[in-house]
Amino acid sequence: MADTTAIEAQPQSDEFNPFLAMAERFEKAADYLGLDAGVREVLTTPDRELTVAIPIVMDDGTIKVFKGYRVQHNFLRGPCKGGIRFAPDVHLDEVRALAAWMTWKCSVVGIPFGGGKGGVICNPHELTQGELERITRRYTAGIMDILGPDRDVPAPDMNTGEQTMAWIMDTYSMHMRRTSTAVVTGKPLNLGGSRGRREATGRGVMISCREALKTIGLRPQDARVVVQGSGNVGGIGALLLHREGHKVVSLSDMWGAIHNDRGLDVPDVLNWIAEHKRLEGYKEADHIPNSEQLFLDCEVLVPAATENQITSKNVDKIKAKLIVEGANGPTTAPADDKLAERGVVVVPDILANAGGVTVSYFEWVQDRMGYFWTEEIVNARLEETMVTAFNEVYRTAQKHDCSLRTAAYILAIGRVSHVYQMRGIFA
Amino acid sequence: MKPTQADLEAFEDDPLPATPALDDESPFATMMSLFDEAADLVGIDPTNYAVLRKPDTEVKVSVPVTLDDGTMHVFDGYRVQHHQGLGPFIGPMRLDRSLKVDELRALAAWMTWKSAVLNIPFGGAAGGIRINTKLRSRDVLERAVRRYTAEILDLIGPDKDVLTPDIGTDEEVMAWVMDTVSVHQRHTETAVVTGKPLFLAGTRLSEQSVAIGLQTILQLAIERYGFTDRKIEVIIQGAGQVGGSLARILHAAGHRVCGISDLSGALYKFEGLDIPTIMAHRQREGTLEGAPGDYAKLTNAELLALPCDVLVPCAAANALHSRNANDVRAKLIVEGAHGPVSARADRILHDLGIPVVPDILANAGGALVDYFEWVQNRQGLSWIDPVILKRIRRFMTEAWNAVSEVQLRHGVRMRMAANMLAVERVAAADKLRGIYA
Repeated sequence: MADTTAIEAQPQSDEFNPFLAMAERFEKAADYLGLDAGVREVLTTPDRELTVAIPIVMDDGTIKVFKGYRVQHNFLRGPCKGGIRFAPDVHLDEVRALAAWMTWKCSVVGIPFGGGKGGVICNPHELTQGELERITRRYTAGIMDILGPDRDVPAPDMNTGEQTMAWIMDTYSMHMRRTSTAVVTGKPLNLGGSRGRREATGRGVMISCREALKTIGLRPQDARVVVQGSGNVGGIGALLLHREGHKVVSLSDMWGAIHNDRGLDVPDVLNWIAEHKRLEGYKEADHIPNSEQLFLDCEVLVPAATENQITSKNVDKIKAKLIVEGANGPTTAPADDKLAERGVVVVPDILANAGGVTVSYFEWVQDRMGYFWTEEIVNARLEETMVTAFNEVYRTAQKHDCSLRTAAYILAIGRVSHVYQMRGIFA
Repeated sequence: MKPTQADLEAFEDDPLPATPALDDESPFATMMSLFDEAADLVGIDPTNYAVLRKPDTEVKVSVPVTLDDGTMHVFDGYRVQHHQGLGPFIGPMRLDRSLKVDELRALAAWMTWKSAVLNIPFGGAAGGIRINTKLRSRDVLERAVRRYTAEILDLIGPDKDVLTPDIGTDEEVMAWVMDTVSVHQRHTETAVVTGKPLFLAGTRLSEQSVAIGLQTILQLAIERYGFTDRKIEVIIQGAGQVGGSLARILHAAGHRVCGISDLSGALYKFEGLDIPTIMAHRQREGTLEGAPGDYAKLTNAELLALPCDVLVPCAAANALHSRNANDVRAKLIVEGAHGPVSARADRILHDLGIPVVPDILANAGGALVDYFEWVQNRQGLSWIDPVILKRIRRFMTEAWNAVSEVQLRHGVRMRMAANMLAVERVAAADKLRGIYA
């Protein structure tokens, strides 16, 4: 899940359409794999789309009907996995794109899931806790027949969190007349959640960055890292990079960025944020506007805030040699091509921020067996999964002489299409 | 003397004095009052806690059985499910001629709290059949257990309610339950009961588990209370599965087991007893009486009053009570049995400054292997001894640390800290789940 620190509103155009962005990358990889038109159609069409009406009684006694979706893009490799978001601008097209994205992400890191995504059109900031609970429970009941540990396993996304997941778990369990924790992930620790989940995406970003630096022959202490964001992904990612000896020189939040070329004391910065809620006023660094942060002189750029940050308009000003995508879709497809021309290495989102879904997978495994791992074991297994995935993507890129992003899609789509060929079409 | 039919029925057919209302004097209410105090100290909203005051579900079933002489008798069976906030229910199944519903309620609630302290994903339950196992034939018991299982079938299952062995339910009885459920479900269902035989999806180390847990607690206590010598002097009351195993383990680890006892009396030697010889004798003869070696022969009462580092009562409930608690000269008490220190003795010991590690934490090794058996059954993988050993230590250590943290935070004795931790965890899960209609 990306930080909610939106930098600035982007005008909508084809460059910023998530569905087109995904489709373009899919086609490129499919060409490498030589997939025929029929298979391409199978792999891009969502298997199932469900729209439900969610009537609830509001606190003032009136009845209001919300609209909810659940899209299951593909369950060839296992049950569907993907977040549920609550937002006023949830759109079926976007949910479809995000569901497909999850299919490829799960496939890249080799966890046994297909992709799914869900959403409810609502504005959580205008709803009370009670109204949110009723929406969540009615939505869960509405999509219950396609949910389940072996069918579809939701997770938190925009404006949903541990509490939402606990409600889903409770609703599902009550209907099933048994405890079923494995039906959702991202649950609180005392209700079948996993240790190490909160840090998982940041940890995955750190591992991806560390492994990528090895391939371009840079030592951690020589790598100046600029991190866009400072929340769950950016903040924790920066902290772990700092601990592993990287020189984090810049962090940002919604209101601005800080920069210190000698390296930031990241724990100190995070303490400051915890106390003051924003970076503003932090003493040990220069303050710069967000618009300049991406162009700082550095070796590594970690966009960990929101989508469409590196675009055809600003890509030429980027100085980093390595970009590690902590957020989903921070680089547009046209910008991608320009970076590739210049030889800038981009560790793509479906690999770099897959730490989150990987630990979600671990949560599902732990719930199924009823045994919960220590944090060390969770971290060790995440490390193993991420390093393996990174190396597989890297080798694929070498083999096809393509970017890491294209390689990640080749790997992901190749795996799903292979499973498709093995399983065949059941009529 | 062979009992008459009338004797049997007098035992088993007590018309339910066993089901009093949930009033203040019942075992359930008494037990819950301890946790009311804990909830108060933790500062839990009473409305959140109200749901814990009553069991979620209580089922009474009739268990008709054809007796060996061809006549029929109807036994009473029960299952009480206390609270499911943390996961499926788990708890004992008893075959007991004086089974009382209110005791089952107390036991069920106890399992809720114990699971919460251990951080294992269960709510508590308890149940069984009112039947005299000494006087009924094995065949009648089997028919009763199978019919009882069939009667409560919709309530139990690996994700619903898991039955554990207790009074009158040995591994063969648990195997009957497993078989009955499996036949009804048309698939093998091992994770619905624990305490099964090793060759039928049981777990290793089930017999030593309580002792291993106690040893882990002792080790942690030694570190915390900073005994000068890391090899400590221990007195153990009880020489059976718990006391005996613990004596062997501690002796092997180089500690000095100075005293041990059973029903026949106590053996004591300040320099340390020769435990392997003594236990070999007891295994052969079934008693400590006449064990070879050089030691003083004492009564159980005398043994409890001797000075030592740690006293581990592993035998009866209320072994330390208001009349002998003042004589205790141990530096630390670890409760191996269930409730060996009475409520009054607990206060006396507290005033004397002798810490007591409560049973809910100290003897939890048993609940842990029940949990591990369930996990192994779900995985379809049988764990080897070192894995189980390591994991018992892991859970005991985590529980010890969590209890210690609450103790430090609130400045209460360890028993209260354990109860507070339990209430805190269960209430937190409840709050997150909410109430769904």
